[in-house]
Amino acid sequence: MRGIPTVLVTVSPEVSSQMRPPRSLYPNGFKIGNSLGGPGMRELQKKVVIDALQLVTRNTRPGELITKEYPEYGAFHDPVRVKGK
Amino acid sequence: MATLSRKCVPFTPFDSDLSMATVSIVTAAGVHGRDQERFNIGDDLGDLTYRVMGEDTTSGDVMVTHDHYDHTDADEDVNVVFPIDILRELADEGVIGGIARKHVGYMGYTMRLKEMYDTTAPAIADEVDRGSRADIVLLTGG
Repeated sequence: MRGIPTVLVTVSPEVSSQMRPPRSLYPNGFKIGNSLGGPGMRELQKKVVIDALQLVTRNTRPGELITKEYPEYGAFHDPVRVKGK
Repeated sequence: MATLSRKCVPFTPFDSDLSMATVSIVTAAGVHGRDQERFNIGDDLGDLTYRVMGEDTTSGDVMVTHDHYDHTDADEDVNVVFPIDILRELADEGVIGGIARKHVGYMGYTMRLKEMYDTTAPAIADEVDRGSRADIVLLTGG
């Protein structure tokens, strides 16, 4: 198996980080079920996908989680926290 | 069968151009083809199976079966968790090289974590590795 580069888009960064994903993007404040934006927000969805894919081409530090702001989402939802942290 | 490291970050470098790369989606959001068996939401321990969707899949071909997150928005526009139409647009625009031959959906809820880690996850990795022609995998949750 040669391995395939992966990038995760997560809306639960604390939870996801426990699995040490190689590259991950957290769209700040997106709610669970809206990983790439809200329904019908095609330009926002596209922007998030491109940002995620560019984390692959940039070869970020292994395990690094990047938080990005997308004000056009128009809402903020607190992410799920890991109990005990 | 692939094995997953428990100790280090399994980082695979990328040494190509995005415009040449084919992209596959692997989602834990419970996405599957409308003509495929639904995930078993009746089992309190979760469902360890996964569904493979082909390169011609569109948003209209898939649905969500998952009862551990509110998928109302995904029901309206599945691109919020499974951006298959977005990838197709990006391929048409030349941003990415193309869409991989396989995409995978599973229900990212289980109480059988060891089985998920030891069996399902490596099986999905093998599935993508064999015949998908994916250069990059985009992972999403619910």
